[in-house]
Amino acid sequence: MSRRALVSPGSTTGPFFPREFSDGSEDLTLRDRHTARGQHLLLTGRVLELGAKPTWNMVIEIWQPDASGIFRHPVDPRAAQADPGFWGWGRARTAKDGWYRFKTVLPGAYRSEDGSERCPHINCTVLGIGLTRRLITTIFFSDEPDRVSDPVLSCVPDATLRRRLFAQRDPSLDSGSLPAYRFDIILRGDGETPFFID
Amino acid sequence: MKTDLTDYTYSPLDDGTQMFREIDKYTASSRRVPESPLLPRPLTLSERTGPIELPRKWDVGALDLCRTSENGPRALGQLISVSGRVTDEDGSPVAGVVMELWQANAAGKYIHEMDDHMAPLDPNFSGQGRLVTDEDGRYQVFTIKPGAYPVLYSGWWWRPPHIHFSILGTSWMNRFITQIFFPGEPLNEKDLLLNGVPDNDVRERLIFEYTGTVMGEFSYIGYRRDFVLRGHRRTPELA
Repeated sequence: MSRRALVSPGSTTGPFFPREFSDGSEDLTLRDRHTARGQHLLLTGRVLELGAKPTWNMVIEIWQPDASGIFRHPVDPRAAQADPGFWGWGRARTAKDGWYRFKTVLPGAYRSEDGSERCPHINCTVLGIGLTRRLITTIFFSDEPDRVSDPVLSCVPDATLRRRLFAQRDPSLDSGSLPAYRFDIILRGDGETPFFID
Repeated sequence: MKTDLTDYTYSPLDDGTQMFREIDKYTASSRRVPESPLLPRPLTLSERTGPIELPRKWDVGALDLCRTSENGPRALGQLISVSGRVTDEDGSPVAGVVMELWQANAAGKYIHEMDDHMAPLDPNFSGQGRLVTDEDGRYQVFTIKPGAYPVLYSGWWWRPPHIHFSILGTSWMNRFITQIFFPGEPLNEKDLLLNGVPDNDVRERLIFEYTGTVMGEFSYIGYRRDFVLRGHRRTPELA
């Protein structure tokens, strides 16, 4: 066995993560003048700290497959067929009232290497003041959350917690013809979002 | 040589190598770090892939933070070079990935709406930028040494000079963010973040190494910090 090097210590972004680093990355649906295939949607919600208080300037990063369930990355055997109009990656930050928003597509399901079926989902990272290490969770999409079978979702121990990982369709937040899905991230306290080991 | 990412995996981070999640007196941590235990989960394609196209999306190349235009005036402050190498746990270079840097100016001021410290901005210093690691995982940037600044709400805490680093790695699992301090700064002794670590070895890895002075047409002081991102081959190489 070769001896591995120790991973470097991370730290918090602090309060001053530049706004310019998020600019232009909230919309994942345009790439090289192509428009992403599939159902476009608004993914939006609030990031709340203890006591349901809004957080300002928290950074949210997302990573997801395209509408056909393909990742633009060499590890995906189908990468050559990835949608030329879709980046798969986005970054947003919360406004003073705690809201973030992304324009993206409904992710496709896919079969993972071990044969398991991954249901439509978006990987989500939270960075910001107070977090010396990133928080990671997964956002799922389904009209019937209790019937979804997914190897990551099934790591969440009970149905109440699993339901917290589903984005909710919220027509009151629609933007023109863009349907809105709401996903609030509760960092700590009542209704806390389940997060995964990094 | 480029790492074959298909034969690559990630072990959970060893807490002993990382900063504490909750730090006494760093009050935001006790309002934002989840109370419930984090859940184990398997790594599938979704976690083992990631945004390796970002250098192209952002059209990132080399970076010089010590001025805002090619032949423009130099930013105020002590000119320094910050460089190092980014590798994985096997020691292989992490090549062609985006590194983002941001820092205060020489007076300890950020260009940011949340910075309410009464210190001047420098019109020749943006304090932020992106570069791409080369094929050997190396990076280098000229900048100026950042100033210290007070955390006003705390009533006592001054942040020692430091530079923030963000690395968008080769997958969702090796995203990396940290802040690196300067050796010999008296404020280092009391900083809540630099000292919010399990032991001195981890603390030392959050501080630049001084590499000496360079004299010439362009004279500067050198600092170095290498980074090890998580990730290793599934099958170790045979000896």
